[in-house]
Amino acid sequence: MTAAVETAALTKRFGARPALDGVDLVVEEGAVFGVIGPNGAGKTTLMRLMLDILRPTSGSVRVLGEEPRAGGPALRRRIGFLPGELRLESRITGRELLRHFAEISGPVERGAAEALADRLGLDLGRQVRTLSKGNKQKLGLVQAFLHRPRLLVLDEPTSGLDPLVQQEFLAMLREARQGGQTVFLSSHVLSEIQQAADRVAILRAGRVVVVSDVESLRETAVRRVRVGVAAGSEGGLRAVLEALPNVTGLSFGAEDHRVRAAATVEGAIDPFIKAIARFPVADLTVEEPDLEESVLRLYGERIGDGERAGDGERAGDGERAGDGERAAHPSSPLHGGHRGTGKRGAR
Amino acid sequence: MTAVPLLRRSLAGGWRSLLGWSLGVAAALLLYLPLFPAIGGNADMRELLDTLPPELVRTIGYDQITTGAGYTQSTFFGLMGFLLLTIAAVSWGTAAVAGDEENGALELTLAHGVSRRQVVLERSAAVAARLVWLCLLSGVLILLLNGPAGLELREGNLVAGVAALLGVTLLTAMVAVAVGALTGRRAFALGAAAGVAVLGYALNAVGNQTEDLAWLRDWSPYAWAFREAPLVNGADWGGLGLLYGLSAALLVVALVALDRRDITG
Repeated sequence: MTAAVETAALTKRFGARPALDGVDLVVEEGAVFGVIGPNGAGKTTLMRLMLDILRPTSGSVRVLGEEPRAGGPALRRRIGFLPGELRLESRITGRELLRHFAEISGPVERGAAEALADRLGLDLGRQVRTLSKGNKQKLGLVQAFLHRPRLLVLDEPTSGLDPLVQQEFLAMLREARQGGQTVFLSSHVLSEIQQAADRVAILRAGRVVVVSDVESLRETAVRRVRVGVAAGSEGGLRAVLEALPNVTGLSFGAEDHRVRAAATVEGAIDPFIKAIARFPVADLTVEEPDLEESVLRLYGERIGDGERAGDGERAGDGERAGDGERAAHPSSPLHGGHRGTGKRGAR
Repeated sequence: MTAVPLLRRSLAGGWRSLLGWSLGVAAALLLYLPLFPAIGGNADMRELLDTLPPELVRTIGYDQITTGAGYTQSTFFGLMGFLLLTIAAVSWGTAAVAGDEENGALELTLAHGVSRRQVVLERSAAVAARLVWLCLLSGVLILLLNGPAGLELREGNLVAGVAALLGVTLLTAMVAVAVGALTGRRAFALGAAAGVAVLGYALNAVGNQTEDLAWLRDWSPYAWAFREAPLVNGADWGGLGLLYGLSAALLVVALVALDRRDITG
């Protein structure tokens, strides 16, 4: 397969400040590729380079086999783009705006705009400047999907969408992939797109830290577990769990006639299950793996050696799992999970 | 694909603004011109003008106010019409590229199947079309008022005057478009265009005062448009050539500039 997007040593500086610093990425055609990173990591810059809104300082980028500047309007007609900061302030209605975009990026199937708007629950009859942030985002998504482009470039597509609409959006992504479209999307939280993406790249301070497929991330996944065993087993349980190499962040608590343990299991869950099987297990909770945490862990291992001072806090997470991590999170596993859980629960 | 989508979008999106400017221009004409018999042709007015300092009279262009052509020039072409159309030109020219870029809309437009040159061309054309409309409206209204107000303007000279007004305001608009395309900054585009218009007016006014300073008018777009009194003498081809030629040159600058740089916003 040819690559839908290919960058080589792609660098973009604004003045002296590098926004992208030697990025090498390949996005296969037909893939759903996610770029994850905090604000300012360079995600938006990368996408703007793909659309010829910005020009590279050095290095190269090819989109659908063409260099964006040389590809010009004909290339951009094959791309659907959702900007990260969508500012729609005009008095025209959503329908008129979409008709305009259909004219310059068409052809568009008859009724496509209405169908997409219906799906996302968007009223096309209202002036776009009066729309709420979430509804503007929906309009942005509609204009990106409208002409069924070969490549969708979506900057923070889920921002401002409520959970139900996010679900509909993820369904649209799946259909796009089934239809052979390539999707390149960004988010600052992996949990929002891990269900949709095949591969993810982690971007920090303008550099690609990790590129991984979501499946192998799942294999190295970090899971939060909680187990309750009958009173009196605490000493034995502690000894057994401490002996497991992939269990960290152990904590214990006692209730009436029960001992509760919470821990973080990295990678395979099997040794943990086998280990607790010898105790009378009263209850067991294994949370769905949080891929973001896995990624941060990988990230911590790769450049945790103080390569970037500003990221020291994050990088340390990987090494000091357990307590360090829990301190950094708003809630502890003992009190009903970690970030991401709530979002998943709401879907 | 239909023709000139960006041009049509600009015109469709700006009809409220155009309607407002049209009303303003019409109001200015309908308020001023019918008063010519009472003011310009009036003996009391002549006496009043004689008592005013001649510098002031020359600055506001009232030295010719006693003829229909002079009155129309001083009240509308040289003053209210110039002012209204200049403000419109500055604001439309600024919005065409720089304003659109700063509010983030240009990024989205350029992510679609249009080239940057097409954006500059069609948006400039939309600004020009709106200025043409205001000038046509002015021309038609003046023609209608010509008889009733006793202005005794010759039609050919009226066309020349309208062409001069269009030229000087188009030049102002194109300064805004070009500076917007060069910098992407609203404030720069607006400042440059308003600066050119104000400076042009001021240089002309100072240049009118004495023969020693008359050379200042060579640097004033306002003077290029009006110093040969087109309503009296007909088209000043040299002046019109400068106005339209420089406007075209600024369009080329804008086309090249926007094509070469990053879109920020």
